[in-house]
Amino acid sequence: MNPTAPRVLVIDDEAQIRRFLDIGLRAEGYHVFLAETGEQGLGLAATQSPDVVILDIGLPDREGHDVLREIRQWSDVPVLMLSVRDAESEKVKALDLGANDYVTKPFGIQELMARLRVLLRQGAKGGQADAPVRYDDGTLSVDLARREVFLDGAPVALTRKEFAVLSLLVRHPGRVVGQQQILRDVWGATHTQDTHYLRIVMGKLRQKLGDDPSTPRWLKTEPGVGYRFPAH
Amino acid sequence: MTDTRDARADALLNAVNAEDGQHLKVFLGAAPGVGKTYAMLAAARDMRRQGVDVVVGLVETHGRAETSALLEGMEILPTRKVRHAGRDFREFDLEAALVRRPAVILVDELAHTNLPGGRHSRRWQDIAELLDAGIEVYTALNVQHLESLNDQVRRITGVAVRETVPDAFLDRARDIVLVDLPPRELIARLRQGKVYVPETAAVALEAFFSPTNLAALRELAVETVAAHVDSDLRDHMLARGGVMPVRRRVMVAIDGAAQSDYLVRVARRIAERRGAPWSVVFVDRGRVDPERRERVDAAMRLARRLGGEEVVLRGHAIADELLAWADREGVGQIIVGRTRERPIARRLGYSLTQRLLRRAAHLELTIVATPAERARARHRLRVGNDLGSRREYGLATVATVIAMAFSFIADRFLSVANLSLVFLTAVLFVAARTRMAVAVYMALLCFVGYNFFFAPPRYTLAIANADDVLAVVLFLVAALVCSRLATRLAGQVQSLRAAQARARTLVSLGQQLATASDAAAVRLVGARALARALDVDAAMLVRDASMTLVAETAAPSPFELTPQDRAAADWCEQHGEPAGRFTDTLRAANCWMLPLGGETQASGVAALRYPAGTREPDVDRRGLAMAMVQDIGQALERARLAAELEGARVKAETEGLRNALLSSVSHDLRSPLASMIGSAGTLLSYDEKLPADERHALLQAILGEGQRLDRYIQNLLDMTRLGHGNLTLHRDWIDAGEVVASAVARMRQLFPDTRIDVTLPKETVLLHVHPALVEQALFNILENAARFSPPGEAVRVVVRREAGRLLVDVNDRGPGIPEEERAMIFDMFYSVSRGDRGGQGTGLGLAICRGMIGAHGGNVEALPQPGGGTTMRISLPLSDPPDENR
Repeated sequence: MNPTAPRVLVIDDEAQIRRFLDIGLRAEGYHVFLAETGEQGLGLAATQSPDVVILDIGLPDREGHDVLREIRQWSDVPVLMLSVRDAESEKVKALDLGANDYVTKPFGIQELMARLRVLLRQGAKGGQADAPVRYDDGTLSVDLARREVFLDGAPVALTRKEFAVLSLLVRHPGRVVGQQQILRDVWGATHTQDTHYLRIVMGKLRQKLGDDPSTPRWLKTEPGVGYRFPAH
Repeated sequence: MTDTRDARADALLNAVNAEDGQHLKVFLGAAPGVGKTYAMLAAARDMRRQGVDVVVGLVETHGRAETSALLEGMEILPTRKVRHAGRDFREFDLEAALVRRPAVILVDELAHTNLPGGRHSRRWQDIAELLDAGIEVYTALNVQHLESLNDQVRRITGVAVRETVPDAFLDRARDIVLVDLPPRELIARLRQGKVYVPETAAVALEAFFSPTNLAALRELAVETVAAHVDSDLRDHMLARGGVMPVRRRVMVAIDGAAQSDYLVRVARRIAERRGAPWSVVFVDRGRVDPERRERVDAAMRLARRLGGEEVVLRGHAIADELLAWADREGVGQIIVGRTRERPIARRLGYSLTQRLLRRAAHLELTIVATPAERARARHRLRVGNDLGSRREYGLATVATVIAMAFSFIADRFLSVANLSLVFLTAVLFVAARTRMAVAVYMALLCFVGYNFFFAPPRYTLAIANADDVLAVVLFLVAALVCSRLATRLAGQVQSLRAAQARARTLVSLGQQLATASDAAAVRLVGARALARALDVDAAMLVRDASMTLVAETAAPSPFELTPQDRAAADWCEQHGEPAGRFTDTLRAANCWMLPLGGETQASGVAALRYPAGTREPDVDRRGLAMAMVQDIGQALERARLAAELEGARVKAETEGLRNALLSSVSHDLRSPLASMIGSAGTLLSYDEKLPADERHALLQAILGEGQRLDRYIQNLLDMTRLGHGNLTLHRDWIDAGEVVASAVARMRQLFPDTRIDVTLPKETVLLHVHPALVEQALFNILENAARFSPPGEAVRVVVRREAGRLLVDVNDRGPGIPEEERAMIFDMFYSVSRGDRGGQGTGLGLAICRGMIGAHGGNVEALPQPGGGTTMRISLPLSDPPDENR
């Protein structure tokens, strides 16, 4: 096996899920470690230094959230949570505890692979510190350092808040950014419940960027959780 | 016919009662000392020898050695010590007997009156309770204590017996054993000191124990036993299907005169002989003085105890009312007392008796002779009644003086004859306002005044011409007619008013009860109405979880129940009869307890607390209270039945839903699983042989069916959440466009070939909702639309803001929904119940959609659409964000 292949740790109690992840991941050329319980997973995470962790929220021995909390005490390894639909609060909590992204069960393998690639790319760059300062897809270009936004070459005038929201998303390309985090970072810790501020600003942003809310290109909604800006 | 059938039913019931634990054996004697207790004990010893569990509850040996000897070896229950008037007494301990529960118990002296503090005021009530508890009772009774014989005994012996036992109670006896002793032997025993005689009564008893008295009493005792045997025989014959002559009701009319009690007893005896039901009827003409009213009430109470029906009629013409009622109720015999015959009325054939005789030819009329004391009492009553108050005489005198003064003035202008008209007016004026005696006084006074001062020769009382004689007569006639009319009118008005008030109370109660939706509301309405109508504190008692009766509703304000009240309430509910104050059972209680009985079971007790010192309510008030309580009881019964019906309906509906769910689960879970298993199995078996595109198709099928299964399970989960009613909304501010967008995005993954056109408002519209639920609701509608949409046609989604609401219209070009089905499509499993016509629909989607949108205060409807297709509209209320500060 290729010793430079990315190392993926899968912590899930369901054998069938572990099996198809194992097959799929190995087919993509990853080096896979499988753990059945939270304890086993923590042991492998400590000894095998994985490049990314796939963690199921519901585990038999301990809550996925606990495992995540423990990992975060000594590691910044990107963590992808597996969750079920209608559990927005769990997803939000996981993101708060330091999870980097999530997929909702049941999920397609392609969706999972795309998320993993994003995480690995950022992980390889050493986390958020070195996040990109520029985004340019030919239509929209955002220069964070110079605080400039162009749409089809024409400058777009954004308010301070609008720009703050946009820059936060641009700095985490391809990853979900929780609405709590946006509110905390842009409005302050006392405004984490004031989601209507965020909705209004997001509406204005989409309008100014010409982003169709029904099929957004840049500012995608993750229902109940937050927003996602596309990776390149 | 029905009468015979009823009679047979009664007889069967009696037979059942007699065989079903209602075992009472009465040892009846003609007088004290005949050996009842001895006979009773001897019988008990026999039973005991046969191994029956016999105990002695209470036996009075009165120190007789033979009797005491029989007590030896018997189990004797301890008695209850009661201290009364500074002395200790032994009383029968009912509680202990009920706890001990022997097969047979001996309780002597059936007619005994309990000292205050016991559960019942009379021993026969104690025994009734023992019988109800299924215990066989042996007891002893002297014939003079029988209620219906009371008067006869007094007439025979001259001794008034106060302790009486209702005849109805004796009817419960399975056996009456006559303990007989010839009078001569009894007197001999008396002389030997073998008969217990309380010292205080020694003198009276000397007269009592005369040979003639004893002979008469003995005859009464034999008669009683014979009558009982007769009615036993009758019951037996009826139970075996024999035919009895139709029993016509016996009716006794009372008027509240002193002998009303006597008439009631006579009626009871006559009815008993004929085996007929009987009623005591009083015609209320209004304006009954309290004393008379009291006697009517007492007679009615007596009738109740003796097993008669009490009836109060209202009207002016007594004979008419009596006859109308008699015809209506199938009365065969009318009993009236001999009334004081007013000579004029008799001449005119106008007395009650005569009128009854004339008009009731088809009925048997019995006129009961009443003792002389009646006339005296009546006379006293008349005098007391009709004399009129001092005020009225004052009025008459003043009116006369005014008439005279006026006449003195008018004397100058008018003829003397016309002056008499002035006096006549005064007489009419006074007579219309007072009673007859005053009117007559007025007439005389006016005549004297007119005669003395105005009629020639003036200033003498001599009458000169015939005109003046006419004046006297006119004054008198006017006074009599007028006062009579006035009295009658006043009486009628009063009587009408009372009847009207009663009717109004009952009607308003009925209306309020009709609007009460459940038992609690009925109790509240009932308590309030009772409190208002009777001017008492009323409470409705129901059993709580620990089966204790508690005041659930009270009006006008809650009050405490005393332990006696609780005991009375318990008794009342168990026996379905009134108890507590104003009754013979547990009368130490503060409240009058009335059972709220429905047709089938008791629904609690109404407690009425009258202020301390209130006199026992009269027949009218009592009747009103009973009628109201009965209405309330029936309303409670109705509420209970309604609740049961509703429960049954809900259960049936749930059952139906459960069946639909089961069939839905088996169909909608199995079919995707079947194709998944089939496809996977095919791949496993023929992997190598299959071309690549077919393998791909099979894999696609597995994926697609898996996704379908996932959606279905999501639906089931949503349904469960909605169904349990504990759906908690985690509301958040959300852009309506975003919700629509994410539902549409999910939809596009599922139906990649269906075009979905979305039109969103230009402005950001904020909703304060649980985003996932609204998204799911919209998703379900979109799924339906996409499913029915013909290929190539777009599904259009239009979101707009209108009049404070957000409207989301989802429009497809499918076959549309017939108008009559538009409301039904939201019913659970609707598409399932139509079979597979709905394609892959589970029948849950729209029901869930409505549930979720409904939880947000919105609604979903299917709109008609010209030109075919369907438009489903979700409408959600919009609210303003807390502030506009960004």
